[in-house]
Amino acid sequence: MGNTLKYLALAGIALLTCASGARAQMGKEDAAPKAAPAPAPVHDLSGIWNMRATPAQRKYIGSTYTAEEPAQTPWAKAKYDAAKPSNGPRSNPLTVTDDPVLKLCFPPGTPRIYLQPFPLQIVQTPKEIIMIFEYDHTVRYIFTDGREHPADVTPTYMGHSIGKWDGDTLVVDTVGFNEKTWLDRDGHQHSDQLHVVERFHRTNMDAMTIDITMEDPKALTKPWVTQLNFQLRPTWDIQELACTDNVDFINFEK
Amino acid sequence: MKITRTTTIALLAGVLLFAGAAFAHHGTANYDTAKMINVKGVVTDFQFVNPHVQIVMDVKDDNGKVKSWSGELTSPNRLSRLGWSKNSIKAGDIITIGGYPTKSGSPEIWIQKVTLASGDDLATGGGN
Repeated sequence: MGNTLKYLALAGIALLTCASGARAQMGKEDAAPKAAPAPAPVHDLSGIWNMRATPAQRKYIGSTYTAEEPAQTPWAKAKYDAAKPSNGPRSNPLTVTDDPVLKLCFPPGTPRIYLQPFPLQIVQTPKEIIMIFEYDHTVRYIFTDGREHPADVTPTYMGHSIGKWDGDTLVVDTVGFNEKTWLDRDGHQHSDQLHVVERFHRTNMDAMTIDITMEDPKALTKPWVTQLNFQLRPTWDIQELACTDNVDFINFEK
Repeated sequence: MKITRTTTIALLAGVLLFAGAAFAHHGTANYDTAKMINVKGVVTDFQFVNPHVQIVMDVKDDNGKVKSWSGELTSPNRLSRLGWSKNSIKAGDIITIGGYPTKSGSPEIWIQKVTLASGDDLATGGGN
């Protein structure tokens, strides 16, 4: 019995060695051998997170949420057709684009902020969950103190967010948008009637998924649904990234 | 097609290697992502700035004529997480950059690979 256990242990070590060797060949970011991640802490999303697109998502996640086009109303489709994005398959030079984020440094909006390819930090207080995005220091406050949306909510870029825990999932409801932003980096449109529901689920210590549903009776004929995956980056810090620097860069690209 | 000593074009291979990175970078319309070129020269300026890090270098053609090339990388934030700093490259360094040429043929490149005079590569983490 003792020998059997010893052989099993040796086989296990051999397997782990092979597995870490395979990972080392996949590139620097995957080089460190990892133990099984610890379980997710209870009702705690805090930490620095970076999007980790699935292989299928990598084809489009730089500009939009799904491989399929969303179901757009004629109003939204006309505005989308006229838009000149600088990302994705319809990419225009920076001197030509009318992307409000690149051209005017507008905050990207919710949920487009996730498509900006930079990490975010989640900080929790008893009153709220604060999301600090590296991209242009964009901040979202998700109120978790039981309040509802104000009846006369002021339209904003990022919207008004309230969150409630449903078991181990944080459900965030966001309304109160202005119409100055695009839904994504590909130029899809929304109105001030946009309603975003996000379900944050920390699957273990190191991984989180956000299921997102976008509804907008003026822009979408049916909800646009996606799931984004995030990886905890405990060794990273949030750095400065000022959109105003884009102005110099547009001149550089001329 | 004439292939010079300092400029080599690897068709299609670049598409397969870097297709995943192509769509996160803004302003991609200027570049021909179906081609990869390599350019070797002497760095004249290195700007570790947002939104895209820039390298400017003097490149000699086969006739010994010097032309200024400029190249852009991803953001300093992303590069710093790959080990870069504002001192990773300095004026006077001889480097080789590989990446996508412009569609117009202007001397600009969307950098996917940087090789130092020592032969070591600096990780660029793709193009976004």
